[in-house]
Amino acid sequence: METRLGSVLLTALLLSGCGWFHRGDKASNQVVVDEPEGEPVIVDPQVKRREVRVPKIKAKDFEVGAYFGALSIQDFGVNPVYGVRAAYHVSEDLFVEGYVARSKGGTTSLEDEFPEVTVVSNAGRYFTYYDLDLGYNVLPGEIFLGRGRAFNSQLYVTVGMGDVKFAEQDHFALNFGVGERIVITDWLALHLDVRDHIFETDLTGRTKNVDNIEATLGLTTFF
Amino acid sequence: MRRLLALLLLLQASALTPIHAKERLVEVIITDPFIEMHSGPGRGYPVVFVVGRDDTVTILFSHTEWYKVRAAGGQEGWVRRNDLARTVLPSGDPAPIPPYPVFSSHRWEIGAGYGVFNHQNLVTSWADFGLTESLDVEFVVQQALGTIDDRYITTIGLRHTFVPEWKWFSPTAGVGTGFQYIDNKSPPQPLERSNQMAYVSLGARGFITRRFMWRADWRKYDVFTNQNQTQEPEEWKLGLAVFF
Repeated sequence: METRLGSVLLTALLLSGCGWFHRGDKASNQVVVDEPEGEPVIVDPQVKRREVRVPKIKAKDFEVGAYFGALSIQDFGVNPVYGVRAAYHVSEDLFVEGYVARSKGGTTSLEDEFPEVTVVSNAGRYFTYYDLDLGYNVLPGEIFLGRGRAFNSQLYVTVGMGDVKFAEQDHFALNFGVGERIVITDWLALHLDVRDHIFETDLTGRTKNVDNIEATLGLTTFF
Repeated sequence: MRRLLALLLLLQASALTPIHAKERLVEVIITDPFIEMHSGPGRGYPVVFVVGRDDTVTILFSHTEWYKVRAAGGQEGWVRRNDLARTVLPSGDPAPIPPYPVFSSHRWEIGAGYGVFNHQNLVTSWADFGLTESLDVEFVVQQALGTIDDRYITTIGLRHTFVPEWKWFSPTAGVGTGFQYIDNKSPPQPLERSNQMAYVSLGARGFITRRFMWRADWRKYDVFTNQNQTQEPEEWKLGLAVFF
């Protein structure tokens, strides 16, 4: 206990001693305030270093949006389709994208001809898909609207795979697409897409690959 | 109709206002003899403006490896990351342009791919967090689509990369646990629709370009069932991932 007290006192003494020795060096920077009575008091300049915070640069590499259009479900007519999409832009050329969409098939020509025949139940006519795609901006460019306006645009191709749920069954599906992205403002883009969803099914009798081509129009936002 | 008009006006107005005028933006000083501003975020877009040494530009935002900047005179354009990385802040410090993520020590990885699970087509996706350079936690969500049944599989596990500094090819091994949910395509439904599983895996990974990497994996699962039989499905998969 005594030793600790001793060391505390010694430290205090040492510190005040240092202050004393230091006084001479910094004399030019210090302000001496003359007081009418007693010894002059030395005022330490207590200037705090200003912390400069550099704001973060915002990255707008994500793109999310919605689309609608027409989906041709093979043997089941052309039907409206609605979907949402999300993309991440990896480089100026490549992006990865995911889609989820839904449509509802119509009737086959067999069902039209013979109304008593039902190929798929009403609930099974929903065509729901998700896709995971890799996209490549093949033809970047600009689109001109009149004299004074130009919009950046990219023609891209996508390839991917996913699941198509149709006739109450899940199918492994490949998809190929081509689309055009027109960047309207820094945060808004218009998309025109054509995509084919290919999967194998035996719904109409024999096993075959069906092509389900869709043409859609979408809006996305960058953030 | 009036509402539609109002909405259109609002859209138009928001498109015309300068981006987030209140937001604090980074200003940098050019140290190169000059930098070129392109009309779009790509190598082919024409140069529309040039900013000289000691001039200031404001960085608005980035898109991939391009940065949209505004010159002192109000001209806007896109500058490549490497050009901007050589600029300085008014304080003299280097500009806060984040460097490219280093492959051998990246933290996050998100990927997707194709595989075969027990003769079924497999769509797989994963997210990976690096605890160290060689040890990762991997979280996988995948769907196996077969002729008899469909399965949803989700797993969590640890994976070790043997030589993380080998860029193009580095073997990996892992263990983990997860669940599968089975949905038969036609009746009868399976006796147990969901099971817990454990797995061991062997695989490899490698760098492709910039932010992309490939990953291949073989897994052997052990399905915990209440029935008097063991199920040990195998899985192969190959995928692409983006790392951060």
